Amino acid sequence: MRIFAFIVAILLASCGREPLVQTQSYVFGTLVDISIYGESEAKAHQVTAQVLQNFQQLHRQLHAWKETSELSQLNQSFAAGNQPIKVTPELSKMLSQATQLSIQSDGLFNPALGHLINVWGFQRDEFTPVQINDADIQKWVKAQPVMSDIVIKNEMVYSTNPAVRLDLGGYAKGYALDQAAKILREQGVKNALVNIGGNIIALGAHGDKPWRVGIQHPRSAKPMATLELSDGWAVGTSGDYQNGQRYCHILDPRSGYPAQGTQAVTVLIPPSENAGVMSDVASKPIFISAENAKAEAAKKMHVAFYLIVNAQGKVTVSEEMNRRLNWLIKTPEIKVLRD
Amino acid sequence: MRINTTLDDHRVAKLAALAIGLHLLESIMPSPLPGVKPGIANIVTLFVLYRFDFATAAWVSLLRVFATSLLLGNFLSPTFALSLCGAMMSLGMLGLTQFLPRQYFGPVSLSILAAFAHMIGQLMLVRLWLIPHAGLAYLVPLFMAAALLFGLINGIVTSHLLAAYPKPAD
Amino acid sequence: MKALFNHLKFSRILIGDWVLFFAALLLLIFLFKTYWHSEPATKLQIRQGDKIYATLSLNQSRTLLIHGPLGDSKISIQNGQVRFESSPCRNQYCVHQGWLKHSGQVAICLPNQVSLELLGADKPFDSLNY
Repeated sequence: MRIFAFIVAILLASCGREPLVQTQSYVFGTLVDISIYGESEAKAHQVTAQVLQNFQQLHRQLHAWKETSELSQLNQSFAAGNQPIKVTPELSKMLSQATQLSIQSDGLFNPALGHLINVWGFQRDEFTPVQINDADIQKWVKAQPVMSDIVIKNEMVYSTNPAVRLDLGGYAKGYALDQAAKILREQGVKNALVNIGGNIIALGAHGDKPWRVGIQHPRSAKPMATLELSDGWAVGTSGDYQNGQRYCHILDPRSGYPAQGTQAVTVLIPPSENAGVMSDVASKPIFISAENAKAEAAKKMHVAFYLIVNAQGKVTVSEEMNRRLNWLIKTPEIKVLRD
Repeated sequence: MRINTTLDDHRVAKLAALAIGLHLLESIMPSPLPGVKPGIANIVTLFVLYRFDFATAAWVSLLRVFATSLLLGNFLSPTFALSLCGAMMSLGMLGLTQFLPRQYFGPVSLSILAAFAHMIGQLMLVRLWLIPHAGLAYLVPLFMAAALLFGLINGIVTSHLLAAYPKPAD
Repeated sequence: MKALFNHLKFSRILIGDWVLFFAALLLLIFLFKTYWHSEPATKLQIRQGDKIYATLSLNQSRTLLIHGPLGDSKISIQNGQVRFESSPCRNQYCVHQGWLKHSGQVAICLPNQVSLELLGADKPFDSLNY
């Protein structure tokens, strides 16, 4: 009898409670999930509130179509002419970084194409279908707005091409992740997991286990694999879906039309000051590139760990990524790319 | 017309009445976990199996199930179905235990095995008919643990009773 | 030791009984290990905005109306599963998610700020990348 009670006690203890505080919130028009491990509830809530406040502020600053945002005001001045306007040091830094990444991706990542995004109706809060005018599309593609058209001198910014309209949609979430990591570390939080709309960065570990992230299958609600994220690692996915519904809004700057042929690209980024940004940005050029050019695109973005699901559902992974994935489903066929 | 009854008939009748009484007593006691009861009436079933034979034990057991459900007013209800199902499964198991060498396996073994069979039968009935969803899986280990515990206790009690009330020499 | 042995003999527990008992105990441990870390979820956590609206058992049959900025999202719990039955959003992505029944599964109505998450004994991962 005592042995029995003893065994039951052991088993019950192993299902014990851990000091994890998890908060969900809606910012950036998406779901933000912050988990903090190993801190008192009071501290966890206080730091989370700080991070969320920072997100709200970034959202206001970088909103691509609300006219009151700093970004919109900058766009208005670009469209009007060459009068330089002053920007905050933070935005100036973001622009420089975005420019460098745009060049690195051979222009496939192009935040200056706000006008094209607008033509497709992606810059609104609703997602109703819109009449696509090919002439409009071609107009903006021909105008070739690029990040290098933007000149930054002493925090005064102007554009040499009035067709430039900034939309940092493919960059902002990543930037926010890096900011969150910074705030958490500054506040002495050593173990946390931040998820902004699916983009995740990890700090420390989940107690004595590493943080585990589920990788969603593009066509199902259940995850197809899990990845362990160690301190500072980030993961991001570009897909043609959102919550299981088709919604392709990643435009190919060369054609002006949504990129075809790929269901999803997931990238895993090692720790660095910009791990968050890279987890957001780096997947896009790979997504847009043709099937036989994807490996090359990954190399250009210095991404060693990636997973691609093509339009037929076939999975291709880099060898490095394959070593880290724990598959939850039986994939029909995985092609492993060896460098 | 007179039905000739033997002394054994009297003994069995008394034991059947005892089984019914124990079951009724148990049914008014609250149970810590819904659906889990010590099943003390089974002691009688097991005792009868040892003192008499399998057929008699089956008779006592099934009589108990029917009589108590009529007395409690749940004849043909899900409770009755569970009770009957459990009884049939444990009787079936007891029938199989005749193949176990009695010098090594005593009432404790029979009781534990019968208790497991009883619980498994009831869980299957619940899963297939009464509550057809996966949440039940969480309760399975708890119910089986109870079956082991009470099977053990009932078995020990039975073996003590068998020693305390040896076969009458008539 | 001898006294214990004698006591056990007095309890009339035979050697076969001991064997069976320990075999049953092992089976029990196996059952706990299997079923107490299983995937089927037991609880549902509903969030509205940034607050936890409720944590409910999936072991019931019930519908709830959760009030959000756009209106009421109707949640239906049945047979250990849950789903968005209806929601005032435009795209109905949440409704199209269908029935959830494994721990870790999530359905979200972003515009109405309502989220459903299934909790079980052990989540296979801490957060979902999508």
